[in-house]
Amino acid sequence: MSRKIVDLGGKRLSLSNLEKDLYPSYGFTKAHILEYYRLISKFILPHLKDRPVTLTRYPEGVEKGFFFEKRCPSHRPGWAKTTEVRGDKGERRTACLVNDLETLMWVENLAALELHVPLARAGTPETPDSMVFDLDPGYPANILDCAQVALILRDLLSRLKLTGCVKTSGKKGLHVFVPLNRKGTTFEETKQFSKAVAEIMQKNYSDLVTSKMAKENRRAKVFINWSQNDASKTMVCVYSLRAQEKPTVSFPLAWKELEKLAAQKDPEKLLVMHSEAVRRAEKEGDLFQEVLKKKQKLPHL
Amino acid sequence: MKMKTSGPVRVPSRSSSDREDEAASHGIWSGTISFSLVAIPVQLVKAVEPGHVSFRMLHRKDYSPLQRRMFCPEEEKMVPPDEIVRGYEIGPDKYILITDEELESVTPERSRTIEIVEFIDAKEVDPIYYDHPYYLVPSKGGEKAYRLLVEVMHRTDKAGLAKFVLGEREYLVAVKSTDGALALITLHYHEEILPGEEISPKEVETGADEKSHIKKSIKNMIADFDPEKYADKRRKKIMDILKKKAKEKAPVEAPEVEEEEGAGPADLVTALKESMRKVKKKR
Repeated sequence: MSRKIVDLGGKRLSLSNLEKDLYPSYGFTKAHILEYYRLISKFILPHLKDRPVTLTRYPEGVEKGFFFEKRCPSHRPGWAKTTEVRGDKGERRTACLVNDLETLMWVENLAALELHVPLARAGTPETPDSMVFDLDPGYPANILDCAQVALILRDLLSRLKLTGCVKTSGKKGLHVFVPLNRKGTTFEETKQFSKAVAEIMQKNYSDLVTSKMAKENRRAKVFINWSQNDASKTMVCVYSLRAQEKPTVSFPLAWKELEKLAAQKDPEKLLVMHSEAVRRAEKEGDLFQEVLKKKQKLPHL
Repeated sequence: MKMKTSGPVRVPSRSSSDREDEAASHGIWSGTISFSLVAIPVQLVKAVEPGHVSFRMLHRKDYSPLQRRMFCPEEEKMVPPDEIVRGYEIGPDKYILITDEELESVTPERSRTIEIVEFIDAKEVDPIYYDHPYYLVPSKGGEKAYRLLVEVMHRTDKAGLAKFVLGEREYLVAVKSTDGALALITLHYHEEILPGEEISPKEVETGADEKSHIKKSIKNMIADFDPEKYADKRRKKIMDILKKKAKEKAPVEAPEVEEEEGAGPADLVTALKESMRKVKKKR
């Protein structure tokens, strides 16, 4: 095993096996992964901030097994911030808070290719600051069908005086976030609301949409997964890499961009690669900024 | 067995690795052995090194030494230490959980003295009670009292009984003289000894000539106890194979754990760029 000690803002970090290829069919080593996260750090860090992170670790690369690490590894450096989290069954655990570049580099050194975060922050675990619609295509439906559904959803939300933000999942689907950022919002509300919206969508677009979790309902349709609106659930963080054959990114899109891409009918164009992600974020800024800032109230349905 | 009453106290030694020397000089424990008004500063060192030849498990492809990890067959993944708890099995798939704190609360405090509470006839202790032997080595200033105790215990063939905490357990120990030194033997508790009565067959009539026949056979085979006559043959054979192989061929080497050269730690960007460049070259 090769190790390299680096100094980062006065903190010592021991990086191991930087030359290990974690995306072997593409050729993307741990050094590349750290470099991606370093370059994207100013965009991803605000979205990770103060959220207990679930590390999805691929120590042997994307073609081999992975494991979810909801706990912050006990061998963490002394300066790594953590938070106490209560699980569904009341069990306590210590989770990592990735609030700075040093911690981001440390978790990436653990080959935590994907970073997943809850919809609420550590201090207020019962208060979601956004509502999410996780659009998941059932084969042979694909990301273009998700784009159709997302655009319809945008219009439906705007009639309810709500603005949504969309990002690619980095895999096959799309995620629509509705920023709330209001004290006192509960998961109960966001779950009920998103479920009602999903059911309306299913009623009006029954060939395209299902709100039902069961696999047999999902074939050739886009499943609107409203049940992600739960304190115990996590979503892949915007700008996180995905463990695919290629290093794709969960990347935010302007609605206009999504309209354009949907019209082009090329699902490949909806996959944003690591280098493109860095380039576009630098040029366009954080298209997901509103998710952190915009205050909206859910209307009564 | 001859008794040495003069000259330096013999601390039994054996050819040993550096690690053992270190253990011998530092001792497993140090404190005093005491009874009545006598207190002798001593160190506890191990008396046996099991002859078992142990091997490291290596990764065939590059000879990296392997580690043991806890594996969950249910999830088919490694379980990190902070997800592991202790359970006492009370039936199939049924456990009572116990925490480290609970275990700690019953762990006795480390002994500072080996307080001998009774002296008994050394012969009275059935060897079946013997658990593990150690030596007691006199610390500075304790040599004279130590030698005296060894001598008296040897002459009277007495063993001292004491309670002694070693590691996390409290042991009943016997302190006795052996070959000019003091040995400390941890003893099994009575409840640990499995009953032997059932093994002995029911009494049957035996003739006097049968008895004398066995007596005679034993008498013909009587010898002095000379443990050096017996050796672990398998161990010797394994060591011979290893010695032969070491001569024939250089040992395989585990890959080095590279620490980057140079004095200070590198800058992150430089380190990453360098790694990426290296990989590019290889491709």
